[in-house]
Amino acid sequence: MKLLLNLVRKDFKRNRVITTALAVFLILSAVFMAGGLRVTGIMLSSLNGLNKMAVPPEYVQMHKGDYDEQAFADFVAQQDYLEDALVVTMLDVKNAQIICNGESLEKCLMDNGFVAQNKNFDYLLDQNNEIAIVKDGEIGVPVYYAEGLNIKAGDTMVLKNGAYQKEFKVATIIRDATMNSSLSYSKRFLISPNDQQEVALHMGEWEYCFEFLLAEDVSTTVLENAYLTAGLPSNGVAVTAAIFKMINAFSYGLVALVIMVISILLITMSVLCLSYIIRATLAEENHSIGEMKAIGIPGKDIIKLYQIKYTILVLIAGVIGYLAAIPFGDFFSATVIRYCGDGSSQWMQWIFPLVGVVLLSIFVVCRCHRIIKKHLKRTVMELIRGEEKIKKEGHYRLPLNGIPVGNLLMALGELKCKWKEYVVILLIFVFSSFLILLPMNMNNTINNPVFLTYMGIGKSDVRIDIQYSDKLTQQNEAVLTYLDNDPDIDRYAVYQNGYVQSQNVEGEWEYLRVQNGDNAIFPLEYLEGKAPMEKNDLALSYLNAVDLGKKVGDSITIIYQGKEHVFNVCGIYQDITYGGKTAKAAIDFDSKDIEGYMFYLDLREGIDIDNKVAQMRTVLLNSKITPCDEFVFQTLSSVISNMNRVQGIAVMISLMLTILITVMFLQLMMAREHSAIAVKKAIGFSTRDIRIQLGIRLLVIQFVAIIAGTLLANTLGEAIFAGMLATVGVAKIKLLVAPVWAYLLCPAVQLGVVVMTVIMGTSTVRSYHIRDQIME
Amino acid sequence: MIKIEGINKSFKDTKVLNDVSFGIENGDFTAVMGPSGSGKSTLLYSVSGMDKISAGQVIFEGINISELSEKELASFRLTKMGFVFQNAQMLKNLTIYDNIILPGLVAKKELPEKIRKRATELMRRMELGGIENRDVNEVSGGQLQRASICRAMINNPDILFLDEPTGALNSEATEQVLGILAELNSEGTTIMIVTHDPRVAAKAKRVLYIRDGQIAASKELRKGGDSALELDNWLKAVHA
Repeated sequence: MKLLLNLVRKDFKRNRVITTALAVFLILSAVFMAGGLRVTGIMLSSLNGLNKMAVPPEYVQMHKGDYDEQAFADFVAQQDYLEDALVVTMLDVKNAQIICNGESLEKCLMDNGFVAQNKNFDYLLDQNNEIAIVKDGEIGVPVYYAEGLNIKAGDTMVLKNGAYQKEFKVATIIRDATMNSSLSYSKRFLISPNDQQEVALHMGEWEYCFEFLLAEDVSTTVLENAYLTAGLPSNGVAVTAAIFKMINAFSYGLVALVIMVISILLITMSVLCLSYIIRATLAEENHSIGEMKAIGIPGKDIIKLYQIKYTILVLIAGVIGYLAAIPFGDFFSATVIRYCGDGSSQWMQWIFPLVGVVLLSIFVVCRCHRIIKKHLKRTVMELIRGEEKIKKEGHYRLPLNGIPVGNLLMALGELKCKWKEYVVILLIFVFSSFLILLPMNMNNTINNPVFLTYMGIGKSDVRIDIQYSDKLTQQNEAVLTYLDNDPDIDRYAVYQNGYVQSQNVEGEWEYLRVQNGDNAIFPLEYLEGKAPMEKNDLALSYLNAVDLGKKVGDSITIIYQGKEHVFNVCGIYQDITYGGKTAKAAIDFDSKDIEGYMFYLDLREGIDIDNKVAQMRTVLLNSKITPCDEFVFQTLSSVISNMNRVQGIAVMISLMLTILITVMFLQLMMAREHSAIAVKKAIGFSTRDIRIQLGIRLLVIQFVAIIAGTLLANTLGEAIFAGMLATVGVAKIKLLVAPVWAYLLCPAVQLGVVVMTVIMGTSTVRSYHIRDQIME
Repeated sequence: MIKIEGINKSFKDTKVLNDVSFGIENGDFTAVMGPSGSGKSTLLYSVSGMDKISAGQVIFEGINISELSEKELASFRLTKMGFVFQNAQMLKNLTIYDNIILPGLVAKKELPEKIRKRATELMRRMELGGIENRDVNEVSGGQLQRASICRAMINNPDILFLDEPTGALNSEATEQVLGILAELNSEGTTIMIVTHDPRVAAKAKRVLYIRDGQIAASKELRKGGDSALELDNWLKAVHA
């Protein structure tokens, strides 16, 4: 064993650059593998811990305005599948009336409600994941605001309406299992019941959340149908546990998934590198291996001799990777821990990465074993003759037509003959390019306003919502009058929301949320078919199409006001609003059946959106007015910030790997071509010429790899991204590429890095001398 | 043509050449002999500018090549010098013919047609017809070494440097190569050759004997007589 270790030490010393580069590859693979699994472990533990303590509802129906308390109590008593139910009374306060540390929340697009702590379930938790308790005069602030506005315990918050002013001391930061995420459009502040009553006398509007816990294995559809059939209050959004899970998966899981994808890429690159290096190293050792076989050393022992180096490398990489994954994973888990806490299953964050690293190590060691074993299968004579060295590469011809023979021609000719040697570096460059572009394209897609269309919202400058009001019609008319008379408005479209019933695949009648309006002005991207144009056309969201078992061209029977109507399914589109289950059709809803209006509008060119929105808010007091770009930013801010970090790290890692593989490859290439380089120098090529020829070969490979990597990112990358987003109800997505970055700047940087590395990595060419060849 | 003045060459602490001076005139055929490790190859590489010398100077047609940059030296080698090595080093990804014409096309001194014509002529003289399109590993050692000489001659160099050109050849191939060298020299090509083989050195006009990095002895060989015997006797005297 001591002898083996001595041999390994000597080998490390002899091949320092290659061994170091290989070690870095393996370490990075291990870090990302373990890091991704640690983030996953922390996320699962956090969400489990939060859900365990907070006991979120499985079905929530929101409602504004009066309701019949007795009817609700009777309904709860009649449904034997209900575990529990409660009515949360929430005091909705206008954002301009909420002042945190001297600044109002006017620009914030969230709906803000003030609640008292719940009994039995749906608890708001403090930073220790315990049920938060606030005294009179104290307030619990949602972690979303604590993060965004840097609010800490001890700060002051004020609610102000005219002369009335109520001051609160921030007692705790609140974790809310249902509304934590920036993707949830409402936020809850916790105050004492006395304060809630007091504030309600001066400001705000009551909103009710009817919340339910279901018995095991009972579908929320059963409850939803029973609830709507019973005619219980329902002028607000209905949200199910599945939607909460989807929102959480998107908010916290997306980054973990991206890291896992990066780790898979890195592992592939490492294994490619490893295979190449083992083969190249063994080829150099053919003679020694042949001699060992000739004197009767068993194959098993020879394998052990060569395997031990890689086993030691993998073990070192595994240990470093596991340890480095702790700060790495924690960096990317900071958001989920802040929002959801450490959780109840902390073992996951230690065991998951350990299992990952062990599996990775076993995989790499087995791969080494297989390559070495295959190499040793050759006969003693084949090994001693070193057949690898006389492998025919073929030749290229110098031009007959007077094209000048220079470095470019020589480099391309040699590349043509030796292309097989370049497959590995080509693949690694392709993956490296993919590694830069995938997170970049994903990030760009999420950041792009067009992403809204995947959320079921047409791309427009501003959106106006009128919901949950007793005076819907009057408010609608007020908005229409305003829009018709404001010269700054370029165009607008109005949509109405209402419910109809339709049959699912099991033949049960379900409620279907339908939007009625002109779909041509702010069109969505349709997965199949087109927007409803004819009177009997109906478009379904992807999840509804699956649920109802419908395709484009099918007919669908709906019931509205007790009458059956047959519609034709004209299109299927993406939607993640309302749990992804919506429809669009020209149904002439009775005004009493309209649960809300939505307006999309574009402003004339040159009109500042923020100023216009501020002006409109002063006129249309009872409407929710949202600038769409800002909406994307605020909704996806936490996801975007984490994606920015991942993107930065991916670029850094990718460029680092490009440098490493280039250095490693140059070393191997120059060792193999030592003789040819020396000959070229002897016949009159300068060191510079030779370095240029080596550089051209690598640049051509890098250029081809960038094209392949870009194509891969636009195709496979899109499939991977769509796969991730499928978890949140988005069936199909088109990656939106930032062309200047993706097609110009990134390739330029990648090529620049290769040029720099070649300049540094080929400096040893200066010392190559024909004398060394003659000595051999 | 070349003036070598007091050149020294050291590798780390070991002095390989110690204050060596001599001259090479146009049309000379100089053989350098000496025991292994005496510094004869180092002398050839120092004179040709392939190795940097530690002290002294090499004046090639009035130019001090010790002061040239690496790029200038490369260009000098390409246009004014020809090299032949022991192992007939050639580029494996070119055919025999393309290996021969490569320095000519890179130097761009003459039109490609002229270079091709000269290559064909050289190959004919060296009896290499028919192997033009073969790969380097498809021909014999003797053929390869003669092809190396063709390559070295493609730019009509002022001087031909040869380092043990027959070291890896059998007797028949050695004779062929020696015949060619004698012929080239008789046509006016200046030659400097390093060898340990007296049969090769006997073809030269002058022999320098190197020992411990210094010229221990030199001998002008008379042509027309039995120069091999003359050289043999001289070497015996030098060894003694």
